[in-house]
Amino acid sequence: MADSESGRPPAVEFDAVTKRYGQAQVLDGFTLKVQAGQTVTLIGPSGSGKTTVLRLAMALERPTSGDIRVFGESVVYDDPARGLPISKANAGRRSRQIGMVFQQYNLFPHMTVLANLTLAPRTVLGLRRDEAEELAMEHLADVGLRDKSHAYPGQLSGGQQQRVAIARALALRPRLLLLDEITSALDPELIGEVLEVVRKLTRTTDITTLIVTHEMRFAREISDRIVMFDRGEVVEDGLPAQLFTAPSSPRTREFLHSILDH
Amino acid sequence: MSWDWRYAWQIVPTLLDGVAQTFLVTLVSATIALLGGLAVAVTRWLSPAVVRAPLWLLVELTRGVPILVLLFFCFYGLPGLGLRPSAFVTGVVVLGAVYAAYCSEVYRGGLASVPPTVWDASAALGLSTFVTWTRVILPTVVRANVGALGNYVVILYKQTALLFTIGVPVLLTNAQVAGYESFRYLEPFTLAGVLYLLLNLPSVWLVRRLEKRMTRGGF
Repeated sequence: MADSESGRPPAVEFDAVTKRYGQAQVLDGFTLKVQAGQTVTLIGPSGSGKTTVLRLAMALERPTSGDIRVFGESVVYDDPARGLPISKANAGRRSRQIGMVFQQYNLFPHMTVLANLTLAPRTVLGLRRDEAEELAMEHLADVGLRDKSHAYPGQLSGGQQQRVAIARALALRPRLLLLDEITSALDPELIGEVLEVVRKLTRTTDITTLIVTHEMRFAREISDRIVMFDRGEVVEDGLPAQLFTAPSSPRTREFLHSILDH
Repeated sequence: MSWDWRYAWQIVPTLLDGVAQTFLVTLVSATIALLGGLAVAVTRWLSPAVVRAPLWLLVELTRGVPILVLLFFCFYGLPGLGLRPSAFVTGVVVLGAVYAAYCSEVYRGGLASVPPTVWDASAALGLSTFVTWTRVILPTVVRANVGALGNYVVILYKQTALLFTIGVPVLLTNAQVAGYESFRYLEPFTLAGVLYLLLNLPSVWLVRRLEKRMTRGGF
């Protein structure tokens, strides 16, 4: 499972993953490797299973079959060979390396911004309150919201809430960040500020980022690699410049056409 | 027969004793109701069907039988089985249990309406089950339902008058005793009514205030 070039395991690796909800087959033998430090964007039509891919990596859901490894360790099994499901302790340890930001921000509405950012570092990493708050303030500064630490989520704009959500995900210092349509719920004028935060993040850190987005210009600019995804399988996988200008698959062409032509 | 101020003034101390007892009964039974209801709701939420079924039966039983019947059963009936709880204990446990059943339904509805996104966010942050429940889920549920829970406490407070029937010296009991001793009922029951009302107004105000406070931050 080690990467032949660097000898390091991929940041995340989907190994023949199948996911069914009842009759509906969302993923069918899905395979993907993302090298550490890369920014990879999944694109594709709505309902093609992109969000499911991220949720599986975060272990919010279990695959029907197949395995998912994060930095070489399964997030599904303790012993894949014998199908032994992952223990709670191991699941907790692995998920600590992964941060996720959701379409609907998912901040805890009854907590201040600062409390949202310090809850996990204090209870999961065991930081003292002052340490956690100091770090939280740094992360808030990174997303340009130092002055909002005592606000409640409901007092912030959607764009600000999403920036807080990014800061919260980073507060656990994850090595892999999953961004699930993080601008889809935002008013158009607020999208820019959120994308700017992500841009800065991928430029200044070596965090691995797996993105699902409909912002094609942003995806092209920020990604090391684009994966075109449709009906549960990878249609095309390549460099942004090549995939956007000269897609090899007709399904990619059709998809790009449908969303760029309006 | 007309209103006698001197007599009215005379019975005020004993009525105030009743107020103190009413307050104590409310405090203890409301605590049982709010915490017991929460325990029942969370247990039902987390348990397999074998545990849920008897709990459901218990809740329906407590909600479905008149409080007076429960009070009489416990106070006059249980001694037949060799159990003799005091009037105070009987009173607070019965009131507490009945309103715990009502509150557990509020909590249950609250739990069911916690958006899946909140559970996702907790899981994505790697929060333990304990932290998820105590710091995220329960505060969310309580804040969203503080009005409904507070209203039950206000109703429970008025229902403490029922404990008159088993002789707990709450406000109504003391008013009745005062009237019985002097054969004058106008003053004691008028004053009792006024005192019940005066005590009720600040608690209603308090519930509204709490509700407002808890829903800040745009819930």
